[in-house]
Amino acid sequence: MSKIEIKNLHAEYTDKNGLFLALKDVSFSVKEGEFISVIGSSGCGKSTLLGVLQGILTPSSGNAFIDGRPITGPGTDRAAVFQHYSLFPWMTVRKNIAFGLKQVKKNLTRSERYAAAHVFLKKVGLTGFEHKYPFQLSGGMQQRAAIARALAMDTNILLMDEPFGAIGAKNRSNMQELLLTLWEGDGQSRKKTVVFVTHDIDEAIFLSDRIIMLTNSPGQIAAEFDVHFPRPRIHSTIRKTGEYINLRNKLMTLFYDENTGAAAEEEYAI
Amino acid sequence: MKWICKRLLIIPNALFIAFLLIQLLPNKAYRIADNPIYTVALALFLEIVLLAVSFLIKKDRLRHIFTDVLGIIFAFLIFWVLATIKLDLPGNAKQAVFPPPGAVLEKFTLDFGQTLTNIKDSLALIFQGYLIAAAIAIPFGLFLGWNMRIGAAAGYIAKFLSSISPLIYIPYAIVLLPTFRAASVFVIVMASFWPILASTMSGVLNVEKRIIDSAKTLCVGRFTMLFRIILPASLPQIFIGCNQGLSVSFILLVSAEMIGARSGLGYFVNNYANFGNYTTALAGVITIGIVVTVITFLFNLLQRFLLRWKQ
Repeated sequence: MSKIEIKNLHAEYTDKNGLFLALKDVSFSVKEGEFISVIGSSGCGKSTLLGVLQGILTPSSGNAFIDGRPITGPGTDRAAVFQHYSLFPWMTVRKNIAFGLKQVKKNLTRSERYAAAHVFLKKVGLTGFEHKYPFQLSGGMQQRAAIARALAMDTNILLMDEPFGAIGAKNRSNMQELLLTLWEGDGQSRKKTVVFVTHDIDEAIFLSDRIIMLTNSPGQIAAEFDVHFPRPRIHSTIRKTGEYINLRNKLMTLFYDENTGAAAEEEYAI
Repeated sequence: MKWICKRLLIIPNALFIAFLLIQLLPNKAYRIADNPIYTVALALFLEIVLLAVSFLIKKDRLRHIFTDVLGIIFAFLIFWVLATIKLDLPGNAKQAVFPPPGAVLEKFTLDFGQTLTNIKDSLALIFQGYLIAAAIAIPFGLFLGWNMRIGAAAGYIAKFLSSISPLIYIPYAIVLLPTFRAASVFVIVMASFWPILASTMSGVLNVEKRIIDSAKTLCVGRFTMLFRIILPASLPQIFIGCNQGLSVSFILLVSAEMIGARSGLGYFVNNYANFGNYTTALAGVITIGIVVTVITFLFNLLQRFLLRWKQ
């Protein structure tokens, strides 16, 4: 059974311009331990899709299932990282992580939560920043802390909404490698299932096992791509391969093609 | 050397010297006799403070605040002395409602023990009313703001009710509440309640949606959402209302203490003004001003501490 199953998802919203169809008949599934990216230009409904998985948004019809059970609201089986404001600005970094932990693991004492916060801050390279407030950290460091919180909550599923979207290019590559290192772990424990939303093609290729591309309003699945590069992946080696360039070109063509609808039914694989 | 000149050649010092020179002018006949020793003593004290501040405070911004405030006080003293004793203004200006500064300061000094008691009693009254108002208005505002449907209607109703001067409630408070003291507290409660409620509601409505989403994905409970997320997120806005509430409380202190009080700054001012003793009443008014300034200063410190997580 797949970990996440999305069936005939429709999402309509009324905004100031009237009725808006954000997602139209989106169906796909994610295997346990799979890292998938959802890619599309801004306003294509990819954040709406993630909102449904987070349990924040209710779809108009269709549903999403986790382990075969329909999603009815937020759950402690899922952790989220957003582009902005994942962390609460009035809590120190340590407090933010401890607060997240407290919500999912009610039986931990305060000192146990702080100890866990310390461990995960070390993993993301933020030792010594425990008592800083988010505004005192750079954007990249804030996202590291947000990832530390999501990992500390030890959920099976990780939902990430353009987490590196506001970070400079060089730092972003480092963050991507860090994320993969943490996701792959020691190779012993089971990998988390990750749904990663982005508009950055290179990011999607580098991180994912599979890429799902959405068309523009309404968001529909344009194509799916399997990405077969061996892990662990390193930017400098992957980018030079012919396979990478090939896949990137295909994605680019589709991404910038005005008539994405025409290619919608076609399946790409390398 | 140049540095010392720069610190000395400032307008406030010039105003101090001008003030001293003005003392040498002959007095014109006015209804209330001045006692210039008090004014000069105050000016000397302020000048010592000014010099100490000029040389001891290194930070430009902080030093400028002090020197500018002292300069404005000197300018005001000059105006006050000129208008009440040194210039021959037309008849009405010579009435008892315009006492000279020396006479007011004399009252202030002679009644100092009484003044301290008044400050103590007034602060007790204000804090009691203010804390009751905040303790009700903040949770209530959080609840109303969070339940958006009621919140929209409540916003208009609160506007309507807040436009009613708390003075209107006085007779009702006297009739309904067991003691005069309770009625006085009630006036202060009504004065600070609406600004705090309104700012809390608007604070909640303006909480960044992404913060709420982030909290939702953590599966926080209802209570945690209101008091650990919404409350701190709207705190900057709540503080604006708390500040307003504090100002209105002090404005209504005089009215609150009209109801059966036997001490307090408001009672003091009102009592002497009623008997036409404006010299003493003004001493009370100045005391209220000083108290408000000190309280505002402390309040700002508290605000800076509680909002230390803001840029």
